[in-house]
Amino acid sequence: MPEARLFGVAGIFGEPCRLLEAVARLKASGWERLQAYTPYPVRGLEGALDVKRSPLAGTVLAMALAGTALAWLMQWWMNGVDYPTVVGGKDPRSWQALVPIMFEVMVLFSCLTAALGMLFLFNRLPRFGHPVLEAGLGRFTTRDKFALVVEAGAAAFDAEAARRALREAGAETLMNIPVPAPAFVGLRGLLRLAAAGGALAAAGGAGMYWLIKLWPVLPPMSHMLVQPRLDAQMSSAFFADGRGMRPPAEGSVARGRLAEALVSSRTAAGLAAPLPVTPAVLMAGRRAFERTCVVCHGPVADGTSLLTPAYGAVPANLQARKFLAYSDGMIYERILRGHNAMPGYAWALDDDRRWAVVRYLRALQRAQHAKESDLP
Amino acid sequence: MNKRDIAAAAAILGAFGAGACYLGPGPERFWINWLVWTLMLLSAGLGALFLTGVEHLSGARWSVPLRRCAERVSDLVVPGSAALLAALLSLPVLYPWARPGGAPRLAPELRAAWLNVPFFSLRTAVCAGLWLLCWRILAGGSRRQDRSRDPALTLRARRWAAVYMAVLGFSLLFVAYDWIVSLEPEWYSDVIGVYLFAGAFLSGVAASSLVVARLLRAGRLPGVRFDHVYSLGAWLFAFTVFWSYIAFAQYLLMWYANLPEEVFWYKQRTQGPWQAAALALAALHFLIPFFALLPVDAKGDLPGLRRCALIVLAAQFLDLYWLIFPAVCPRPVFSWPEACFALLFMGAAALWLRRSLGRDADMPVGDPFLKDGLEFRL
Ligand code: HEC
Repeated sequence: MPEARLFGVAGIFGEPCRLLEAVARLKASGWERLQAYTPYPVRGLEGALDVKRSPLAGTVLAMALAGTALAWLMQWWMNGVDYPTVVGGKDPRSWQALVPIMFEVMVLFSCLTAALGMLFLFNRLPRFGHPVLEAGLGRFTTRDKFALVVEAGAAAFDAEAARRALREAGAETLMNIPVPAPAFVGLRGLLRLAAAGGALAAAGGAGMYWLIKLWPVLPPMSHMLVQPRLDAQMSSAFFADGRGMRPPAEGSVARGRLAEALVSSRTAAGLAAPLPVTPAVLMAGRRAFERTCVVCHGPVADGTSLLTPAYGAVPANLQARKFLAYSDGMIYERILRGHNAMPGYAWALDDDRRWAVVRYLRALQRAQHAKESDLP
Repeated sequence: MNKRDIAAAAAILGAFGAGACYLGPGPERFWINWLVWTLMLLSAGLGALFLTGVEHLSGARWSVPLRRCAERVSDLVVPGSAALLAALLSLPVLYPWARPGGAPRLAPELRAAWLNVPFFSLRTAVCAGLWLLCWRILAGGSRRQDRSRDPALTLRARRWAAVYMAVLGFSLLFVAYDWIVSLEPEWYSDVIGVYLFAGAFLSGVAASSLVVARLLRAGRLPGVRFDHVYSLGAWLFAFTVFWSYIAFAQYLLMWYANLPEEVFWYKQRTQGPWQAAALALAALHFLIPFFALLPVDAKGDLPGLRRCALIVLAAQFLDLYWLIFPAVCPRPVFSWPEACFALLFMGAAALWLRRSLGRDADMPVGDPFLKDGLEFRL
């Protein structure tokens, strides 16, 4: 029976030093295309086989440094420049705080580089098989044996001579490594593979879904979720009286709320508008008026409300004679406190805006009651 | 004039200088130098003993041919312990808690329970006693084995190695808290004992590497190959990273927390006049040895390893100097007293090591695993 076409011949050795000797002997007698397979790195083997130094170590170092630099740059930019956050009174650009992340990213980059390098440089992805594996040499070389393979190569190969040389070099066992028949994955096979993969993914997804459904009490990190907190309209455990916040001390006035605290309907009438009549003030007043008052009092403040009758109350016609006679301070006080059916708008307008609205309302009243002398 | 005479001359010159330092610049300068160099000797000695201990305990074979070198370095435990006991005289000079009215912010309970001269001296004496005991059993037993070839001594060493691990762990913690931290008793750090251990082990490995390099070049370690040297270099490399990790962890935590009772210590040592020392420490203790030992072949390259070992020892000295000196010196000082102390202690250590270099075998010839060790391959 003719021998199947050979990829090479393997000699199997029991000791790493035997393997090294065999490499030296075969090299000396002119054999080329030698490959060794060992369960762990054997020192000196690269030198004996003239294997070039792999570029992987240098690449990993470069990527590690790049990762470190990138992590530094990222944190420096995000934390120090783009959105500076002061934590614990530290300068947002302090290098100390960046070190842990730099370290982690360094590790991540080096591991990924090493793993990808292993897959692509050493395992030669996208190659999925190798004659040596098909022949079952791995049974020995992944345990306690060391193999030396004389590869056939393209030129005429004298398998018998190779076997003899290996035996003379001390191989315990010899093994032929045939060129495997080309594996062919047909369309049907691919479809089956895809179906199996899809089914697996679906089963995994469904499994996860039901797992979470059935055992929902597995919050991954609950310590921020489960803590005393303040809910609207609920009593809280923060203080003995059940409130979540302390009420302000008696007689205290919040920042910017002095006017509300001081103005009363009696004192208001005498207040004078502190703002001058300038286009800027009038424009600010107009903006605030249109945003806050127009819905009820209408665009020219004549009480033509944009509201439906469901509102129930009738907003005052501010063009009425009565209101023309109001002093600035009285209108100001109505904005602040409201009047009967009209709520106060102190919360919506700061003090400058309130006076600006007063100025604008006065301008509206004058426009609606323009006299000949008002024309330019 | 041979090397032995040079060492003797250096030690004698240094001794005169040290004496002059006591009389001239004063006892404080004398004792602070004494303390740094005592801890330096103890670091190398205890670290080397740890190396032999950890190898006994793990049943390592590769290290058997090199073990005698580490055992010789561990002989430094003897002068180191003696110097530490002598340093008890420094308590009222250096330590504020030992002076009447010193360290006023110290809690009186702490003073009564821990920081008082009798208990302090007792702790130190117990530590020194335990070190000497372990040294006699581990390093001395190995030498006895040279003659008796008794394998039972190997078993005994393995059991005592476990004891020594625990002894070293606790005693270095005491040394760190008592002799280093209590110079500024307001300060504390949980990890300072580990920090001191990392530095000590590193200097033990480095000093052993120096002895190995010397004997190898003299052809006195037949059969020791790249594989053995490489493994020693790997220890040095690994613990360079370990020290840096611990040192930076301690710094980062204190820097972040910014507690006044912790951070003043680092502020003094990383800003202002001591900043240069801190930066030099980062370079000598981490950057240079790390990158020098990073390539595969560098760990087994004898001249390179020797250079790294020297750098690491210098770094350990700088580390102790940087830990201890700022407690009394607001800015770094290095003048003739420091130089004389260096001469004194290095000369004395060299003499002490030479004594054993001439006396017993260069390898533990009685160890049943010596053959295994010599056959070791990576
Ligand atoms: C929700 C609808 C509503 C809005 C918005 C509103 N008002 Fe009124 N306002 C009313 C009603 C209703 C009255 C009549 C109250 C009454 O007399 O019963 C009124 C009355 C008034 C009066 C006369 C009060 C008096 O003394 O009789 C003034 C002045 C006034 N509004 C000014 C304003 C200004 C300025 C704004 C914008 C900041 C404003 N209102 C926004 C509903 C509104």
